[in-house]
Amino acid sequence: MRDFDLLEPKTIPEACGMLAAGEDVRPVSGGTALLILVKQGLLRPRSLVNLKKLEGANAIRRDAGGAVRIEAMATIHEVETSQVVREHLPVLAEACHQVANIRIRHLATIGGNLAHGDHQSDPPGVLVALGAEVELSGAGGTRALKLADFLLGTYETALEPGEMVTAVTVPPVEGRLVGGYLKFTTGSSEERPCAGITALVRLDGDRPVEARLAVGAVASRPLLLCEADPAEAALEAMADRAAEEIDPIPDLRGSAEYKRHLVRVLGRRAMAAAWAEAGS
Amino acid sequence: MRHLINANVNGRERELSVKSNQTLLEVLRDDLRLKGTREGCSVGVCGSCTVLVDGKPVSSCLMLASNAEGKEVLTIEGLGQAGNLDPVQQAFLDHQAFQCGFCTPGMIMAVKGLLNENAKPDEAEVRDYLSGNICRCGTYVEVMAAIEDLTAKP
Repeated sequence: MRDFDLLEPKTIPEACGMLAAGEDVRPVSGGTALLILVKQGLLRPRSLVNLKKLEGANAIRRDAGGAVRIEAMATIHEVETSQVVREHLPVLAEACHQVANIRIRHLATIGGNLAHGDHQSDPPGVLVALGAEVELSGAGGTRALKLADFLLGTYETALEPGEMVTAVTVPPVEGRLVGGYLKFTTGSSEERPCAGITALVRLDGDRPVEARLAVGAVASRPLLLCEADPAEAALEAMADRAAEEIDPIPDLRGSAEYKRHLVRVLGRRAMAAAWAEAGS
Repeated sequence: MRHLINANVNGRERELSVKSNQTLLEVLRDDLRLKGTREGCSVGVCGSCTVLVDGKPVSSCLMLASNAEGKEVLTIEGLGQAGNLDPVQQAFLDHQAFQCGFCTPGMIMAVKGLLNENAKPDEAEVRDYLSGNICRCGTYVEVMAAIEDLTAKP
């Protein structure tokens, strides 16, 4: 692998100071995405800032108000197996379990996953469906941004120079969310998603008050559709609308036409499953 | 740039001087001459470089060596040696769960990681866990038989 200097800050302010030094200083956490880019010569950093040794940067907690806060250096496996996540955000645990393979899930971090901005990934779409926010820290302090506004496109995020993702927070749910994540790969099971569909129904008691459909991995950023007071008849229309609105990126996993069709079929399937769960 | 790290490798405390851009795999193979861990794809897909770090399987080709600081690293050499094999190694032998053997150290370390997490996995859990370990010879049936043997024992 091409040479670089690995800088090892102990605190977040120290890390942000290092990151502010310039474009050729990049942060690295699990390394599962970034080191591949360095190995392939697509990225030629002078220095990498190692965020893996920051103290206490992997905690997962639910506060008194019901918001779940995941510190950025939590590994995908830690998110997937967290009792808090399994109990309160089971769809996130389900999606994280389907990321790559077990070895990658033990290395890769949730913050790295989001900051990398790769659209072909499972967690971003689910987190957008959950209305997640990211916390960004830099020399000027911290700010919070809706994940949907943070993800600008493939490998593009709203991170400013010298900033890093320090946490992802899922706001409390009014009522109860049911539904799940449907991953489709055109290769082997542990491959990157060709499409990742999140279908959720929010219940107030037994009454469905909102339906959410998020499409990840198809376009350069996740697409989210929400419908208030949904009726069963509206669910198929939601999937159809997603298929019309999405701007698929054609690649080895499928043509744009194929992916658009996939969004319609999987969207209907996932919404139907969520609706059935809501009624049971 | 070099980093001085302390790590336990196969039960032995080591002080290692590693380069910024060295992966754990490179340190194991090139510096410590532990050649059992193999480099296959080098992008975290094939599983040939699987080692356990604090009991958990990782792709050593994508882990910066500096991050092994304070960790316990276990490679196939530390699992067992001829005459004193680990039960997983013995089961692979008994079922001839390999052909060319290139993927075998990674496959065995992944099984070890699985059994650390879940002593009695069912077939679906085994398939799910090992889906990222590729055997080009196609010995999956024998691998499954070896694991079934291991998990059937009381």
